Amino acid sequence: MDAFITAAGLVLDLNVLWVIVAAAAFGMFVGAMPGLTATMATALLVPVTFFMDPVPALGAIVTATAMAIFAGDIPAALLRIPGTPASAAYADESYAMAKKGEIDLNLGVNLVFSVLGGMVGVALLILCAPVLAEAAINFSSFEYFWLALLGLTCAIFMTTGDPLKGVTSLVFGLLINCVGIDPTAGHPRFTFGSVELLQGISFIPAMIGMFALSELLRGAVSVDERNVVLAQKIGNIFHGVWSVFKKYWFNFLRGSALGVFIGALPGAGADIAAWISFAISKRFSKTPEKFGTGHIEGIVDATSANNSALAAAWIPALVFGIPGDSITAIVIGVLYMKGMNPGPTVFLQNPQFIYAVFIIFVLANLLMFPLGWAAIKSAKQILRVPRNVLLPIILLFCLVGSYAMTNSFYGVLIMLVLGIIGWLMEENGFPIAPAILGLVLGEMLEQNFMTSMIKADGNALVFFERPIAGVLGAVTVLVWGLMLWRGFMGRKATLAPT
Amino acid sequence: MRANDAINGLILILLAAAMIAMTSTFPAFPGQPYGPSLFPRVLGTLLIICGVLLMWRGLAARRSGEGWVEMAAWTRQPWRVVSFFLMLGSLLLYILVGDTIGFIPVAIVILLAMFLWFGVRPLSAVVTAVVATFVIHWFFATMLRVPLPRGVLDAIL
Repeated sequence: MDAFITAAGLVLDLNVLWVIVAAAAFGMFVGAMPGLTATMATALLVPVTFFMDPVPALGAIVTATAMAIFAGDIPAALLRIPGTPASAAYADESYAMAKKGEIDLNLGVNLVFSVLGGMVGVALLILCAPVLAEAAINFSSFEYFWLALLGLTCAIFMTTGDPLKGVTSLVFGLLINCVGIDPTAGHPRFTFGSVELLQGISFIPAMIGMFALSELLRGAVSVDERNVVLAQKIGNIFHGVWSVFKKYWFNFLRGSALGVFIGALPGAGADIAAWISFAISKRFSKTPEKFGTGHIEGIVDATSANNSALAAAWIPALVFGIPGDSITAIVIGVLYMKGMNPGPTVFLQNPQFIYAVFIIFVLANLLMFPLGWAAIKSAKQILRVPRNVLLPIILLFCLVGSYAMTNSFYGVLIMLVLGIIGWLMEENGFPIAPAILGLVLGEMLEQNFMTSMIKADGNALVFFERPIAGVLGAVTVLVWGLMLWRGFMGRKATLAPT
Repeated sequence: MRANDAINGLILILLAAAMIAMTSTFPAFPGQPYGPSLFPRVLGTLLIICGVLLMWRGLAARRSGEGWVEMAAWTRQPWRVVSFFLMLGSLLLYILVGDTIGFIPVAIVILLAMFLWFGVRPLSAVVTAVVATFVIHWFFATMLRVPLPRGVLDAIL
């Protein structure tokens, strides 16, 4: 209880609240702009939060991402372009509704169910994280090795249509992470005598490059594309939302629950949650034929799911230090920089920070109501911000942000090189998220792997001896087997016709 | 730019092979066979396996008529190609001369060049470039105390 009061004191500070409101406005804007994603918002925020205390830093990230995930729904309805990938699942449906003249209802439902879904996610985060942390306190290097490996495996299994390219991307990320001083022996690897490479590939500039610069490069070649905003007046968005809730309360619960589950799985986040819950909604709907014609049902599921997934992704991040999605991957980087190594010990040593995160999440979801309403009302002005002015300014922001992380041109160089690599990867169908997870989890994976190897004296069976480690190991091996089998069967199927 | 997976695979194999070759110089520790070279070697081997599978797949696609390299539609419009390299060139310019010339002048030049190329009207381009540069400089250098390079400003002030 003391920790809770300390946490409340930390959050309800004027400076912190100011940061939260500013971050919320920033998140709304970035989320609502097509081409700027929630992950990008986080990557751009980190250089700023780097200079803050832990609580405002986490507050800024939590708030900005929560807003961005909701705000992505706005251009989906007005432009048919999702503002963030998390809204992509129902952008067509939203647009169809808007064309039918139900834009008020659509935006109202998106706002209300985003808030409610977010609240469900937060509630489960508050309930589950401390319990899991208690169990995790007994984990040794074996458990952590399997957890990290399982997390990385899930990232591939869940997120990509092409497992081979997912694995390749992951291994590539892990290999990049090997640059620098190795974690067990302290020997410099792949540094070519450079002092700067000794510190390794700085994670934040790499993130900014892969998520922001590569997006800017794609934007630069289509800068003249004009967005055609639906010419409809936005009226009272809350009219009729209550009757939607009464009719589809089960969809809301199902979507939120699914969102929590998918969000809590390492590697899969809000966008996957939205896709899957939308598909499930259609599958079990009494009126599946209405889907695609501007039907609210699937939107209720999916818009609740993406916001609940966002909060739930923090469960593995806080408890095990394993990111639930690419946003929490950045958060873990931030936590390490702040000297708060994520893991069960944080719950014992710094419980006030954990409670502070909980409080901020609740505040952020409450703040979403007025700010979301304001964003919807001013959506047309936001969407009119010219891209040819915005893109160069964001580029400058990326430049300064990555410079600030190392206080040298080394950061900018990393950003530039990894930005080009990220762009090439996307062009060739390699997903970026596994590479980033590899970069974040690489050190933890290697450290626990090496420690375990030394403890086990090279005997692989010892990796399965402890009960929880055994279960985790078995599950990991099973998922790999499943993936290989699927890949093998898939190959057979594709080879058969030729 | 979409390359055939055989090319992607080959690049990855070469990269992994080079990294594995470099691990041979890493020291081993007496009585403990797991040194700093183990993890990169495991990963390098995995990457080579991925590369081989990608090459296999790429060659199959090649046989069924896919080209070696496919350029996206925008690459046939020169001004879009310039836009693309303008972004990269701006960053490179900052890395190369940022230290001697300083953040403020380089940032103004970068923004102005891009604004004008992207078709922002000259007057608003100049105003936005100057204002944005000074706001970002104020925010990072003054508020967050990032030592942005001062460059020629040192000589003037």
